[in-house]
Amino acid sequence: MSTSTALSLSSRFPAYTEFNQSKLLFTHLNLIYSYGFFTGSRKLRFCRLKASFWETIRSGIMKDNTPQVIEPSAPIEEQEEPLPEEFVLVEKTQPDGVVEQIVFSSGGDVDLYDLQALCDKVGWPRRPLSKLASALKNSYMVATLHSIRKSPEEGDDGKTLIGMARATSDHAFNATIWDVLVDPSYQGQGLGKALVEKMIRALLQRDIGNISLFADSKVVDFYQNLGFEPDPEGIKGMFWHPK
Amino acid sequence: MLRSNITFTLVPSSSVRLSLTKANSRSVAFPIVSSQLQTSTTSYTVSDRALESRGFALHRTTQGLNLDHLNSVFVAVGFPRRDPYKIQVALQHTDSLIWVEYVKTQRPVAFARATGDGVFNAIIWDVVVDPTFQGIGLGKAVMERMLEELLEKGITNIALYSEPRVLGFYRPLGFVADPDGIRGMVYSRKNY
Repeated sequence: MSTSTALSLSSRFPAYTEFNQSKLLFTHLNLIYSYGFFTGSRKLRFCRLKASFWETIRSGIMKDNTPQVIEPSAPIEEQEEPLPEEFVLVEKTQPDGVVEQIVFSSGGDVDLYDLQALCDKVGWPRRPLSKLASALKNSYMVATLHSIRKSPEEGDDGKTLIGMARATSDHAFNATIWDVLVDPSYQGQGLGKALVEKMIRALLQRDIGNISLFADSKVVDFYQNLGFEPDPEGIKGMFWHPK
Repeated sequence: MLRSNITFTLVPSSSVRLSLTKANSRSVAFPIVSSQLQTSTTSYTVSDRALESRGFALHRTTQGLNLDHLNSVFVAVGFPRRDPYKIQVALQHTDSLIWVEYVKTQRPVAFARATGDGVFNAIIWDVVVDPTFQGIGLGKAVMERMLEELLEKGITNIALYSEPRVLGFYRPLGFVADPDGIRGMVYSRKNY
């Protein structure tokens, strides 16, 4: 059995002994970081990482539709703090005083009609709502991006679904990411990247070792930049009688 | 996904389901689809009855499946040995699974499972046949039934990850690699 690529084997999962060793290391690091947290130092470190990462996204929102490549400041393993279920990715105040927040959530709270509207916007074929509902319910994780606009005058906050990604899983070994979409008017700002990156982190934290997906030829590079490898060791994705 | 070389021999005609036509009083056996048979079973390369007659039993639930024995089959084809508790969790959250038991030893000799969202997509994982039992059609038997089960649920987007050596096993079953340039990708921590 090949051991050259320690943790990157695909539908087999990684050589379990190596995985176990890295798992022990992970736990060890966790203890160190927990200790750091209590003394305050780890929290500070996380904030520093967070600030630089989100700075790049924030600047992306400021400039209209400038393509952003988000360079993470540290590999995922170093960011040990558990991912909260919902948090603000970006906050921006418009000239008219309206504050817009882009909120990430892995709670899976999706309005079906909003989702269908979003799918329409990106040009996907319509799917029956009942099936969409089942698909979401049967997914292991559903991550969403919402835009929340708060007006300075009293008034309702506007909350719009602007991105979604979901993953199915057997809860133990494998997870597969499907349906990654971002509203076209919010594309090009690193939001899709953040969405997938957060989802990966959440999956890894739940100890799912094998994260896979199928990418259209046009987005293979997008996922490669996030750490995905096409055809690892020549392993091929195959589909049954594709249309 | 199979881990070892699978060679498939044509199933001898004796295992094809036989039927008598009404008009023919002589007992000539025709490999014809009888209207009384369920249409699903007639499309199998190796029928349920053929499997039975050779001492195999087909199962579609985990009942009676010994996870340690399954683990041994995984190891025999080259998978790493997995934590049986994790296997249990995985199987609890698996949409479909099919396994073949060799009745004499009561051990699993072929296995496949599929995960997904139950409506649109499914991925088939862990397709294995014990090396001692390879080459007689068990892998095909398991795959054909798995596909049928998924299609019956209305799932038409069925995918899997295949090692290069066994692409030839999946192609005759109807699988196409990289259709329209779609690539299978896996997250690798060392790349990030």
